[in-house]
Amino acid sequence: MPLLAHRRVVLRLAVGAVAGFAALRAGAADSPAATLIENVAAQVIELIKTKKGAELETGIRQVLETSFDLSYMGRQALATHWKETNEEQRQRFLAAVVSSEAHAYADRFSQYGGQTLSVGRVVPRPNGVSLVESKLNQSNGQPINIEWEVRDTGQGLRISDVKIEGVSMVMTRRSDFNSYISGHGGQVDALINELEARAKH
Amino acid sequence: MIEGFKSVAAWARGGAAAIIAASVLLGGCATHDTGAAEVWDPLETPNRFIFSINRAVDLIAIRPMAVVYKQWVPEPAQRGLHNILENLGEPLTAINEVVQGNPGRAGTTLGRFLVNSTIGVVGIFDVASSMGMPKTNEDMGKTIGYYAGVEPENGGFYVVLPLIGPSNARDGVGLAIDAAADPFNIVTFAISNDVGWIAAAARYGATVIDTRSRTLFALDDLEKNSVDYYAALKSAYTQQRADQIRRKREKTDAHGELERRDKLALVP
Repeated sequence: MPLLAHRRVVLRLAVGAVAGFAALRAGAADSPAATLIENVAAQVIELIKTKKGAELETGIRQVLETSFDLSYMGRQALATHWKETNEEQRQRFLAAVVSSEAHAYADRFSQYGGQTLSVGRVVPRPNGVSLVESKLNQSNGQPINIEWEVRDTGQGLRISDVKIEGVSMVMTRRSDFNSYISGHGGQVDALINELEARAKH
Repeated sequence: MIEGFKSVAAWARGGAAAIIAASVLLGGCATHDTGAAEVWDPLETPNRFIFSINRAVDLIAIRPMAVVYKQWVPEPAQRGLHNILENLGEPLTAINEVVQGNPGRAGTTLGRFLVNSTIGVVGIFDVASSMGMPKTNEDMGKTIGYYAGVEPENGGFYVVLPLIGPSNARDGVGLAIDAAADPFNIVTFAISNDVGWIAAAARYGATVIDTRSRTLFALDDLEKNSVDYYAALKSAYTQQRADQIRRKREKTDAHGELERRDKLALVP
């Protein structure tokens, strides 16, 4: 009954999440999208080396706010519920998501173990989105595939999704959030309240 | 003890038959492409029930053992056990590679098995990788997905299996076929039924500890950072399996996923 062949799947997923996007500048690519990823990786490494606790969280929040297209990601994550929200709810939702993500990343990076990120191919897509492929190299074990979706927002290039071993951060949040909303009478407010509560600690 | 394994055996056989029967029944209805949006989960209520039992078992037994294992067992021993388990899976991977129409790669996989089983001392050391024979992992769920003419996000209905975890109709059927076709099982059960079940139970137990010790951080993280852990894990599992199948279909990359998402018009 060796039914655990599939456990390997979870295993690779596991290693992926451990890595988060802890990364080091490595390899030089000419594409502006690749440069963006390398810069973000370098900023994060610098933060991990110099900051701790709340300061680290603040630093990561700044990286998220300057390099990620958070409102686009938030809209994708809320999916059809986005239309049901008013401006005030949207602001609260986005603020809560940024806080919880900054908190989560600060937590993950506290276990940083010297991984390096090598940026590989950049694949432009017809709709103006670029995909930046990268590998997170670990001291032990297989490198982890991380793919970055970069789009032009009109105010410069921003990251709009991160896929670790094929698992999209936005798509996972989307299922997570939508299921929570459905489980709470379709009320987006329930989700926002929950996220706000979580962001506080 | 042996009586216990026999009843487990009966249960497992019944379970596998039930999965196949269910997937045949529901497979006929699975014409709507669930890959288009949320994962198709008609069994959500029973799934959540099994999920909560799995979590309870994990919390009181499996996770604590995995923590101790990871903390106290020397790293080379952990790696050795992991390699042994991977090595035992090579013949099954080779069979799947043949079914996938890639006998060349199956030959390499069998070469790995022979080299690692002998020079690598029953698989403790992965010497084959350093000899230019890289590792692959194949299973029947991927093989079915490779041939099925649907989006790989559509694996039929989602199902949470007791003591195994996230799966779906495609991967559940794959597991049952893999268990039946696995040369490891065929050889051990040929010796005697008791040897077969004891070997399978030992391998299962070792695999649980090995796998869980490697997923501690990731699953803790996913649980902590989701508002609905069940839904987040369902999505992550489905995406990762789809990515593996897409890589098989498209050989070099898996960017078909983006085309799929473009069509979804996620942003209203």
